[in-house]
Amino acid sequence: MNLTQISIGDKVRITNLSSMNQLVRRRLIDLGIMEGTVIQIKKTLPFGGPYTIEACGQRIAIRKKEAEQIWVEAA
Amino acid sequence: MMQIALAGNPNTGKSSLFNILTGSYEYVGNWTGVTIEKKVGLLKNKQGYLIDLPGIYSVNPLSKDEGVTANFLLNESFNLILNVVDASQLERNLNLSIQLLEFGKPMVIGLNMVDVANQQGMSIDINKLSGLLGVPVSPVVARTGKGVDELLHRVMGEDSGPAFPFKIDYGYKIEDAIDVLSRKLPEGLKANRRWLAIQFFEGNEVVASYLKKYVEESWLQDLYRKTEQGVSQQTGSQLLPQAIRQRRAEVIEGILGQAVTQTKDNNQTFSDRIDRIVTNRFLGIPIFLAFMYVTFKLTFEWLGNPLSGLLDSFISGPLTDWVTAFLNQVHATEFIRACIVDGIIAGVGGVLVFVPQIFILFFIISFIEDSGYMARIATVMDKVMEGIGLNGKAFIPMIIGFGCNVPGVMAARSIERPNERLLTILLTPLMSCSARLPVYVLFAGAFFTSNQGLVIFSLYLLGIVVALLIAKLFSSTILKQEGGSMFVVELPPYRIPQWQTLARSTWEKGKGFLRKAGTFIFGGSILIWLLSYTGPGGVNVPMNDSFLAVIGGVIAPLFHPLGFGTWQAGASLITGFAAKEVIVSTMAIIYSVPDSGLSGVLMGQYTALQAYSFMAFILLYIPCLATVGVIRKETNSSKWTWFSMGYAFLTAYIISIIIYQGGKLIGLV
Repeated sequence: MNLTQISIGDKVRITNLSSMNQLVRRRLIDLGIMEGTVIQIKKTLPFGGPYTIEACGQRIAIRKKEAEQIWVEAA
Repeated sequence: MMQIALAGNPNTGKSSLFNILTGSYEYVGNWTGVTIEKKVGLLKNKQGYLIDLPGIYSVNPLSKDEGVTANFLLNESFNLILNVVDASQLERNLNLSIQLLEFGKPMVIGLNMVDVANQQGMSIDINKLSGLLGVPVSPVVARTGKGVDELLHRVMGEDSGPAFPFKIDYGYKIEDAIDVLSRKLPEGLKANRRWLAIQFFEGNEVVASYLKKYVEESWLQDLYRKTEQGVSQQTGSQLLPQAIRQRRAEVIEGILGQAVTQTKDNNQTFSDRIDRIVTNRFLGIPIFLAFMYVTFKLTFEWLGNPLSGLLDSFISGPLTDWVTAFLNQVHATEFIRACIVDGIIAGVGGVLVFVPQIFILFFIISFIEDSGYMARIATVMDKVMEGIGLNGKAFIPMIIGFGCNVPGVMAARSIERPNERLLTILLTPLMSCSARLPVYVLFAGAFFTSNQGLVIFSLYLLGIVVALLIAKLFSSTILKQEGGSMFVVELPPYRIPQWQTLARSTWEKGKGFLRKAGTFIFGGSILIWLLSYTGPGGVNVPMNDSFLAVIGGVIAPLFHPLGFGTWQAGASLITGFAAKEVIVSTMAIIYSVPDSGLSGVLMGQYTALQAYSFMAFILLYIPCLATVGVIRKETNSSKWTWFSMGYAFLTAYIISIIIYQGGKLIGLV
């Protein structure tokens, strides 16, 4: 499943980032968010707006279409 | 003299530390190849230079601008790296620290925001951390300056290399490849060969093109591909840069496990509670707009204007009287009297009365920056911005642009994609900066007394709407972003800004305005007065026969369709290019009345519709000289600089003609 298919507050582990936009993936990796990292969704905005995710003690907002490319499994 | 490179993640308090350690800039220049300003400061003890590198998450750059650090490490000579680390985000910050440690130069870590880390329940064993990394770690609180002396002391004492070379074992596949590449490189390179190899395998393009000078490109590609294949067989479907980052993350985890104790859960309930309201699904945008509206109310009606009125009555009343009396006493000539009273006091004073509004606006912008709300605004606005081909981060330069377009244009650097950044730079001057405020306050005060706040708010809104429309137009035509736009933004925890910090950053922003009043506007006022005092017929000519009238008269017909085809308007538009406030100075001098009487005179010269058309034109017609300078610097292109002026003028002309001719059509005057 991808990140947009889980509920707010559920903790999941990233399994695959390879289908993501390369630049966004690079920036997430810089921030320490990569395959194996445990993340959760904190918030979503309406009309397909950004997702706020929490990982490694930091909050990061990314677009929904990027969140759809983050493949996760239950942690 | 010691050369010290200051490096760290964005938002770690690097700039605060730079300011505290150096007191002031020594010089500002450009980095070679990119258009980021290079700040170098002389240390307060006068024993070394501090070089401020741009904030980065990784030495491996994502954009051209982020490549500054890699280029610096490869090509410049320096003695030591001062790495600023945010203690409350240790895990992520240490990734950069390790990349810098691998470079092998002497290094000192300034561990900032230890207080924040403590609040979040992190207890950091500094000696342990220092021992594990092999370099001195010195705790500081850059906001208050605590611990800075000790840090400086450490830096000055640190001229030998690290206690031990920091080395991570990346696993035999990668280690073998590092060896192969290191051996292929010639002796005597400035940069450490192991570091070059690691950066190359991490995908650092700056390093890759550096290596191509010494090694065959196809050989490099071949080695990279083979290593990546080997690593993916060994560890599953992993990309090489990710494998390196992963290994580093494990090492960082190990370090944190030994040096950090989490005494209580780091739950950001305070931030969560605020976020539940201000980034609420449906209330987010309305709250932002309401916040902006209150800002304008406060700036113009509740607080700014009363203060401004007091200042005005002082300058045009007692101050003018005192100066006149003094000049009479010393028997100054009429020329000197006119120059000082009609030129300098009218011109500079006419602008100085807006200091209260401008400082209030800068104060609120500083509050937005410091509190953490800025990143939320970017998030809330992203969907709208995506619709016009930009991303939410482009909204930040625009908000800063409300204060002053110059830092606004510079703030566009945080945007990663080149065309998105260029577009943001082009649009930021459409944001109504505080220098345009005096013009609105003057005209709105004269023509729209009862709705002054609303009329001014409408102009700010006009600037935003025009910017959005133009963004849509440009992003779908001349400035298409290959591969789409990108949006990743970090949301820092909210914090209540300290008065001290707010006061300092308000002053930092606002002092530019005062300096401008003392230099640009002072000189401009004298020049304008001189042009109005002299004419083809000699000196002390009637205003209508002055050089200023001649110059203004030449371009006046151009503005006739817009409703303000007078030489006075023409002349003030020309002078307004130097700085928008000068428009007010010019008018004060031209109509040769003290500022308080100016609105009365103007009411005899223009109708309300003409006044609104004039204000809209002022809002859009051209970026001021200082902004043009910074656009040139940031875009590094004279073509785009000319474009930024040309399209703005054309847009202003079209908008004003619609307002004036449209207004006349529906029966307004």
